[in-house]
Amino acid sequence: LSNADPSQPLSRLDRLWLAEAVRLTEEHAGLLDDAEANRRARARGGDLRQRILTRADWLARQNGLRPALLQWRQSAGLMLVGLALLALLTGSGLVFAAVGDGSRPVNVFWALGVLLGLHLLTLLGWAASFAVAGRGGALGDLWLWLSSRIARSARTAQLMPALLTLLGRQRLARWGLSLLVHGLWLLILASALLTLIALFAARRYDFVWETTLLGADGFVALTRWLGALPSLAGFPVPEPELVRASANTAPEQEAARRAWASWLLGALLVYGLLPRLVLALLCLWRWRRGLRHLDLDLDVPEYALLRERLLPATEHLGVRDAAPHSLPNPQGRGHSEHGSGALLVAIELDDRHPWPPPLPEGVADGGRLDTRQQRQRLLEQLTEHPPARLAIACDPHRTVDRGTLNLIAELARLAAATRVWLVAPPADEAVDHVRREEWRAAIGGLQIEVVDSAPLGWLETGA
Amino acid sequence: MTESVVLAVVGHTNVGKTSLLRTLTRDVAFGEVSPHASTTRHVEGARLLVDGEPVVDLYDTPGLEDAMALLDHLEQLKRPGERPDGPTLLSRFLDGPAARQRFEQEAKVLRQLMASTAGLYVIDAREPVLPKYRDELEVLSMCGKPLLPALNFVARPDNRADDWQQALSRLGLHALLRFDSVAPPLDGEKQLYESLALLTPSARPQLQRLIQDRAAQADARRRRGARLIAELLVDVAAYHILVAPDQTAADAATQTMRERVRQREQACVEALLRLYAFRLKDASAGELPLANGRWEEDPFHPETLKKVGVRLGGGALAGAASGLAIDLMVGGITLGAAAALGALAGSAAEGGRSFGPRVLAKLRGYRELTVDDPILRLLALRQQQLLQALEARGHAALDPVRLDNPAEEVWRSGKLPEPLVKARAYPEWSSLNPQPRLDAAERQAQLSALERIISQPLQSRA
Repeated sequence: LSNADPSQPLSRLDRLWLAEAVRLTEEHAGLLDDAEANRRARARGGDLRQRILTRADWLARQNGLRPALLQWRQSAGLMLVGLALLALLTGSGLVFAAVGDGSRPVNVFWALGVLLGLHLLTLLGWAASFAVAGRGGALGDLWLWLSSRIARSARTAQLMPALLTLLGRQRLARWGLSLLVHGLWLLILASALLTLIALFAARRYDFVWETTLLGADGFVALTRWLGALPSLAGFPVPEPELVRASANTAPEQEAARRAWASWLLGALLVYGLLPRLVLALLCLWRWRRGLRHLDLDLDVPEYALLRERLLPATEHLGVRDAAPHSLPNPQGRGHSEHGSGALLVAIELDDRHPWPPPLPEGVADGGRLDTRQQRQRLLEQLTEHPPARLAIACDPHRTVDRGTLNLIAELARLAAATRVWLVAPPADEAVDHVRREEWRAAIGGLQIEVVDSAPLGWLETGA
Repeated sequence: MTESVVLAVVGHTNVGKTSLLRTLTRDVAFGEVSPHASTTRHVEGARLLVDGEPVVDLYDTPGLEDAMALLDHLEQLKRPGERPDGPTLLSRFLDGPAARQRFEQEAKVLRQLMASTAGLYVIDAREPVLPKYRDELEVLSMCGKPLLPALNFVARPDNRADDWQQALSRLGLHALLRFDSVAPPLDGEKQLYESLALLTPSARPQLQRLIQDRAAQADARRRRGARLIAELLVDVAAYHILVAPDQTAADAATQTMRERVRQREQACVEALLRLYAFRLKDASAGELPLANGRWEEDPFHPETLKKVGVRLGGGALAGAASGLAIDLMVGGITLGAAAALGALAGSAAEGGRSFGPRVLAKLRGYRELTVDDPILRLLALRQQQLLQALEARGHAALDPVRLDNPAEEVWRSGKLPEPLVKARAYPEWSSLNPQPRLDAAERQAQLSALERIISQPLQSRA
């Protein structure tokens, strides 16, 4: 087989088909290596459907599905041509089998049976299988089977289920295969009709009918009955006398031959060609309409996953303003050279902690330091009268932040000696050891001593 | 295309700004989350898209830590007799040296907020309303951008959300959002975007699109989750092995069967986690059944069944202990005749592929192993609980998935749903059997029916 051009643009059906084939491959064998395909699909843009198609197209190029599809199409086309030729030959063959070469009189009813019998039988078979199983008939299956035989490769084996799944979604497979079946029969019958016309035009045939059991009346009625429909299209029905005269020996009349010949042609056209033509057109219409509605089933789980990759609901914008190498650290070094008295202050203790605790003689209450004004006031006060001992109560329930650390450092610089008291939680709450450790580490960084119980004794005596 | 809304997520340090972003982006890998202060020290963005179009840009910022000192510093920047407005004063600050030194982190936040459409001020609702938070809000409001306060950790019992609400309305911030980033309310995202739309009317159309898109996706996710569970159940229900009539063969087959059912369940767990964009290790540890993304208890252990509350009949107990029901075939007519005949009829209808071998095997005295009902019930319950837990879980959660025991009596003691009863008769519906026919139309129809049964309790919650 000739090599198919790999970059050849694909029809809509082919693109959907490839996407379905890729989906089935991934369903069975896990996701393909799709980084590049996804990138391309995102770059091409469009809605999820388009992106899936772009991705599938790219993946199919990579793993050989696309060439396989092109090759399959090519071989399917060849098969179709082969089947069409076969149909043409079959049509002419039927006629020769039915009417022979003119050396012997033609048995009209026998000939009609040969011309239309197989056609009617397969038509019935098609109708039955179409109604029951929704399939396109055995001939269609044969074509699929043959074409997959010819393009024999592992990839093609993956393509067929994909096509059937895809078409099955719109129940299209049966219309497509039916179209094929009726199209082929149309060819067979058209070829038969033309061959018959040609033979009747160029040769002389005598027509008889024969019977062993039946009477002439039955044949008269049958002739009239079969000729009724074609007569509407202008094909004459042989007269009863003519029918009777044609029993067993052919009448030597020009009119009789012509009447039988056109009766035969009419029956072939009306009972053979016309039904197949109508059905082929119906199938063609349904096939076209179905193709237009054919689409990916975006609800399948595989596509839900792909949605995340191809049409992400979020994307990273990256770092816009980078982190500094180091954060400014509050400096704790240094303390006042001298001071007098002892002071206890509280930073951001919430209302769960009663404040201040009962204070011993000589220890002053610096109050709560929550607002800027309170802080400002205390800092000014300490600058003027530095304390000898300063205890700062903190609630380790808070997150240690730079603002608090700065304040503690600033206070410590104004006192001769400083301790930070990490207040215990109210009795009904568990101790958050992680937070306490963080506080210890942060305050330790300021080189200030941390205590867990109220340093009232230290404040009072300095020991 | 309209401009996308730029939203700066701001707040004190360690209040869960990055967590909120993770939950909104459904991305567990965004930024870094820890219980320590100053975890995020840079400004990082994530974009929310609808059908590939950017709609909202979210920016995570470092925590504010020293707003009081910054306010003092800003006071100093005012020239005597001058009353500059907020943005003017802030640009003066941002151009100055302090914005590169002591207040570098604060400067990053303010710069980002000034470049944004609006700010989302995240609050740890467990904290008391301290003056430093008011100072933060004062500094932030100088940017001249609308601020939407979002109360995080409102799902904790010790929250002070009401205090915060009062304090914020005193500051003139009446729109308030309660959004727990660990256990977000089911319509939390919708509320957030709706509140934002009220604050920034120009962004309304985009936000409306985002709300619709996210709702549609949540619904689709739920249905897909139910589908995954339905597939697991059908796979296990239709799973069967024919074994030669001797004990060793039966034991070996039992082992194989258990192992494959375990693997199949694990595959479903992983698919569900993937569907909800969680990593395996996110669903892990502790007292919980899911450890490192696995169920700890073996489905074939009777204790497991008891725990989940699947009732066992007296006779069923023996079968459940082995986990497998043994269907003895005697000359083609079975003890469980109905099921077997159904199976034969089923395979005949499906094209007769396995018709011949099964009948032959049974005539030769082979026995059929299938997975017992209680195991199916257990799998159904466990996976549904996982799905519900995933539904209600934010991407910021650091603790493992916690499972309650919802009253799903259908699965505990009722009749098995019809699709599963049917699946028993169709071995080719199970991907665990050789030569499965997974796209058989009837299988798909039964899967859809089962999917509806599974997603029902979820929908009524949503």
